[in-house]
Amino acid sequence: MSQGRTLTFNIFRYDPQEPGDKPKMVKYQLEEAPGMTVFIALNMLREHQDTSLQFDFVCRAGICGSCAMVINGFPTLACRTLTSKYPKGEITLMPLPGFELIGDLSVNTGKFMRELAERLKLWLQPNLDDVDVHRLEAPMAPEEAAKLYELERCVECGVCVSACATKQMRDSFVGAVGMMKIARFELDSRDERTVEDFYHVIGNQDGVFGCMTLLGCQDNCPKDLPHMQQIAYLRRKMAGALV
Amino acid sequence: MAITKTIKNCSGWLDMSQSVSGVILAVFLWTHLILVSSILLGADAMTWVAGMMELNFLSADGHGYPWVVSIIAIAIASLVLVHVLIAVQKLPLSLRQQIALRKQMSSISHGDTKLWVWQAITGVGILLMLPVHLWLIGSAPETIGPSGSAARIWNDGVWMLYMPLLLCVELHAAIGVYRVAIKWGAARDLNTRERMKKIKTIVSVIFVVIGMASLLAFLPHA
Repeated sequence: MSQGRTLTFNIFRYDPQEPGDKPKMVKYQLEEAPGMTVFIALNMLREHQDTSLQFDFVCRAGICGSCAMVINGFPTLACRTLTSKYPKGEITLMPLPGFELIGDLSVNTGKFMRELAERLKLWLQPNLDDVDVHRLEAPMAPEEAAKLYELERCVECGVCVSACATKQMRDSFVGAVGMMKIARFELDSRDERTVEDFYHVIGNQDGVFGCMTLLGCQDNCPKDLPHMQQIAYLRRKMAGALV
Repeated sequence: MAITKTIKNCSGWLDMSQSVSGVILAVFLWTHLILVSSILLGADAMTWVAGMMELNFLSADGHGYPWVVSIIAIAIASLVLVHVLIAVQKLPLSLRQQIALRKQMSSISHGDTKLWVWQAITGVGILLMLPVHLWLIGSAPETIGPSGSAARIWNDGVWMLYMPLLLCVELHAAIGVYRVAIKWGAARDLNTRERMKKIKTIVSVIFVVIGMASLLAFLPHA
């Protein structure tokens, strides 16, 4: 048991709001507690050592997707990463690349996700000619609901965007989160958009045909979403619409 | 409802063409290497294979038609050109993209992204070396055979081109076919992907070994 070890944290520090501040790595030390996560450690550091340390969190349980950061080279959620995972007790923390930096480990994933949702129209678009508020809504088949639920598990943490070298090289690329959400509405029988409609949104080099299958999304997604299969499905679907 | 012709549906065709041309080139490459490796069975075996490729069984004098090889070289060059023109769009050509890639890879460590970088590097290597190979073979197809090839490889120093070219193509092709398979959904789960990745590595190693052994097997004929 690693109880009582001294952990060494190397944390990226930079506040763009502060004039003259330069990016730097700052070292902190902390005694490890049983069951400690990186998120708990960060809170202790902020409480006892450096109140200016910036990072995001809400739920502490891997549901809100706020605390994503790069931990020893792997983008993931701080609240789901146990410090005992690192036998050397050295942990390097960097903000997620590819997002606007708010400060230190805090990045603006919300702005990115909102822009993406508006660009790809990531909401249900039912048939508006067939609206009748007095009619009972048709029940959804359990199999369909299960499929949708699987894709709905995305917490918009931004890890897939950071882990995708394609996205980093090509700003306008929609990334795995965009495709995952498109796939979710494509599967939804209540959405009236056709294959052709989706094709116009992601059937291009910024969408599914720009994906180089590097699979950073698949290998790092903290919710283990099936990005690999999902993107391949969309690619076949979009290619099928062509031929 | 058909999709109206726009630049958007071009990218779909481009993506499919890249995959198809890549797979055809990889299959050709592996077939080619197996045919060349006939030298491992002796000079007679390779003479027989070279004769078959020149369709000597169709000509009365038994010399065949060496220009058939030239035509294959031209066909492969055209297919490579198509593949390159599409694939080059995926490369980080601008400085901004190169910096973004370097920055991302320096903070995030990811195996398949590294594989892709190798694929890109070997792709550029092939682009530089393959035209020389195609020209050497396509312009003198009649010299292909145990002694002619041996003279080219070992006396004219072409081994300096063939060894790095062999390494590049065998890495590029195996990684490429692995990626195409994943890209279009051949791996239904992550275990299958792991298995495919292992097979990819084995294929690369086997063909590099066969290729190197074949090059060395020409040495006694030089």
